Amino acid sequence: MSAFVLALVVGALFALGTFLLLRRDLIRVVWGLAIVSQAANVYLLAMGGIELGGFETVPILAGHGEGVPETTDPVVQALVLTAIVIGFGMTAFALVLSYRVYEEHDTLDASELGDRE
Amino acid sequence: MPPELSVVLAVVTAPFAVAGVTPLLIRSLGEKTGYAGAAVAAFCFALLGTQYGSEGTVELAWIPSLEVALRFYVDGWALLFALLASGIGALVFLYSPAYMHGESGLARYYAALLAFMGSIIGIALAADLIAIFLFWELTSLCSFVLIGFHTDDASSQYAARMAMLVTVGGGLFVLVGFLLLAFVAGDIVGPGTSAFDLAAMLDRPDEMQTALREAGLFVPVLGLLAVGAATKSAQVPLHFWLPNAMAAPTPVSAFLHSATMVKVGVYFVGRVRPLFASLEWVVLFATLGLATMTICALLAVAATDIKELLAYSTASHLGLMIAGFGFTSILGAETGVFHLFNHALFKAALFLIAGIIAHETGTRRLDELGGLRHDLPVTAFLTAIVALSMGGIPPFSGFYSKELLFEATVEASHHHDLGPLDWLYPAVAVFGSIFTVLYSLRFLALFFGRQPDSLDHVHRPPVILLVSPAVLAALTAVVSIDPELAVRAIVQAGVDATAVDPGAHEMHVGLPTSYSPAVGMSAVAIGSGVLAYPFYDSIHRSIRSIPRAVPPIGANWWYDAITERLTDDGAWLASRVHNGLLRTYATWTLTATCVLALAGFVATDAAVPPVGFDPASLTGLDVPIAAALVLSLAVVAGLAVVTADSHVAGILTLSILGFMIAIFYILASAPDLALTQLVVETLVLVIFLLVVEEIPEYYEVSLGRVARDAALSVLVGATAFITVLLTTDARPAGESAIARYYTEHAVPEGGGQNIVNVILVDFRSFDTLGELVVIAVAAISILTLIVMRSRGDESSVAIEDAEGGSANESHESHETRGESE
Repeated sequence: MSAFVLALVVGALFALGTFLLLRRDLIRVVWGLAIVSQAANVYLLAMGGIELGGFETVPILAGHGEGVPETTDPVVQALVLTAIVIGFGMTAFALVLSYRVYEEHDTLDASELGDRE
Repeated sequence: MPPELSVVLAVVTAPFAVAGVTPLLIRSLGEKTGYAGAAVAAFCFALLGTQYGSEGTVELAWIPSLEVALRFYVDGWALLFALLASGIGALVFLYSPAYMHGESGLARYYAALLAFMGSIIGIALAADLIAIFLFWELTSLCSFVLIGFHTDDASSQYAARMAMLVTVGGGLFVLVGFLLLAFVAGDIVGPGTSAFDLAAMLDRPDEMQTALREAGLFVPVLGLLAVGAATKSAQVPLHFWLPNAMAAPTPVSAFLHSATMVKVGVYFVGRVRPLFASLEWVVLFATLGLATMTICALLAVAATDIKELLAYSTASHLGLMIAGFGFTSILGAETGVFHLFNHALFKAALFLIAGIIAHETGTRRLDELGGLRHDLPVTAFLTAIVALSMGGIPPFSGFYSKELLFEATVEASHHHDLGPLDWLYPAVAVFGSIFTVLYSLRFLALFFGRQPDSLDHVHRPPVILLVSPAVLAALTAVVSIDPELAVRAIVQAGVDATAVDPGAHEMHVGLPTSYSPAVGMSAVAIGSGVLAYPFYDSIHRSIRSIPRAVPPIGANWWYDAITERLTDDGAWLASRVHNGLLRTYATWTLTATCVLALAGFVATDAAVPPVGFDPASLTGLDVPIAAALVLSLAVVAGLAVVTADSHVAGILTLSILGFMIAIFYILASAPDLALTQLVVETLVLVIFLLVVEEIPEYYEVSLGRVARDAALSVLVGATAFITVLLTTDARPAGESAIARYYTEHAVPEGGGQNIVNVILVDFRSFDTLGELVVIAVAAISILTLIVMRSRGDESSVAIEDAEGGSANESHESHETRGESE
């Protein structure tokens, strides 16, 4: 499928994520982080060459022993799968850290928190 | 006779090994550890003695793949320097316990001193450029620790930093010079010999020089090595660290000034001399050396502190040696080697004597000292020998080597066409020597004249303090009486190794019996010095007034100005990029990444469309409607997240984005990713909602920065866009070899049909284990953040449950994947 459309989508998601990363509200920063990692995953998958299709291209073999078909790249899929899970751990941790910061300091304003250092 | 590897290795490693166990020695021996150090030094000296007369290379493999080896080259010059370092090292260790009595931090002191001695011996013997560089920088590190021994004293810290900055900086010049040298040497020393082998290069000096000139690297390499040597050997204008280094304890100064640190540059210049001998070499080093000799002699006369006087005099004498090596005649080599030998003996003794004076009188100021011969008669006698030797007064040892310099300056024009330098060199040498005589007499005068009233309690020094200077003075006396003895014993071998055309000359020194230009020059220098001595105070004052009137004339002023400026600019820069605000860090990091990535694309012309590029392929018409719909929904959801005015709205739209991506994974033939993404998105949604419930809404207040943030976001987005386009375009078509491997081996070796799962749980299972560890650590951290808090309440317990559960679920999702094979 067209690399152009993918590039456009990844670029747009990166831009939106970056904009959120620069907010003062810590929760929005966490959203930004989540969006950026989604975009990175799509990019990584695109590097393997995206094949839109069905049964034929899915990296699951139909049976044992017969000729091995050419499927979409399983390596990038494995990488992205790992990345999704790690990204989840990171998002959850960042979120709870923000929550704890709020409990300690009664604010989620990154600028205000920075000034306290 | 070839040297023995085991002996050479033992000599180089013994000081380091003992340095490592110094803390244990201190515990058992206390202040007597110095004597153990003396024993180590004497051991090295004795082992080196067994190699006397040997010549050759031995090596121990170190990094064979890079042809770097611990390669040692033993010849007369290396032995001379290593013997001086270990011999004087032994005397300094012997002197230390009495001098450092009652000081704290002795473990650090002795360990650094031992390592220092080991590094110097290492430089003397190493023949591999990488090994030389390593030892070179080790001496800088050790001297940093030693000069900064009084860690709570500001001047000590300042001096240590300065010495470190100057000498390590110089070391970097040497490194670049070495790499260039090795680059050229690769073809000359031929296959089978490492390009870093200095001994092999010295075997073919003419070929090396021709190759360097052909590569256009002769002058750059010469210049780089000269900067390195000049920083180590305190040549003008990089001499300023040496007088400051007197902040070190006096035994360290004695060691540092006589046989070690500052001689390294001179030693190295002598070592590479055969490689570079040429007109450029003469002009560079003779000028550098004579300028240093004269300027530092003047500064020594301006000194007010006995150690300062000696420090400047060291720099001046180093200039003399550099100038000697600068002249390519055999006389030049004789000057350099013989003066290095003489200077090591008399300057070590003088520093140790300065230590005795400071120790017994409590002051080091020249104007507070005088008439010490009554209280310190033995010291006075020793000083007479070594100070007159320093001044180059016949028949003391310094005279002979200085005569050689005068002869070399006179004869320089026979070897090269030097133009006006022809008469300027001898003139400057004589002029500088006048001041050498002056400050030598001034130092000796500490023991004569009237004793100031403030000096009423001068103790006799303990005998142990006198042993080391006495040995050195005795050696100086022996050399003075029979210089030929020293020449036969060791100096001739050093001269042979440093001479441009070796083996052609037998060295002779002695008192002159007939008139020659050099004799006349000596007579003028000594006569003028003695005649000018009565006016010492006015000369002293007038030299001192110059830097006061024009501060930038002093190199120290430049150092201070540059370091202060750097410190201020650094602080300013830190306040810009490191101000504690998240957005500042994000801005700088993202901007830098984007700029670097884009610059990389531009630099490699990657942004230029390849030949046969079809713009029609960019129209995007070949995107199926389903994928286009899903992806555009994802982007719209992203926009909605950005514009959401409540947390709940943002979380819900973020979830829409996530689920759209999951559907995209289904369309892109990645069912496992879609499954995982669906699970993860669901969990994220739940956790977000649970947390947000506890947190009040927060609205963005300042709108002023939105434009700037948007600009940065567009930059990041554009960079990502270009990167994706370029990289997916550059990807070779078809299946990659690694993907093919996994596809083919999934069933036979992994026993599963889902290739992605097989990769995760079988082929790359350690990666997955690591991933699980990350998730587990995140789960534990989350638990800790929420539970381990005194102010816990009901809601935090709820979140804890959700978190614990989700972490487990993610483990389970992996397990199910594994089992589904």
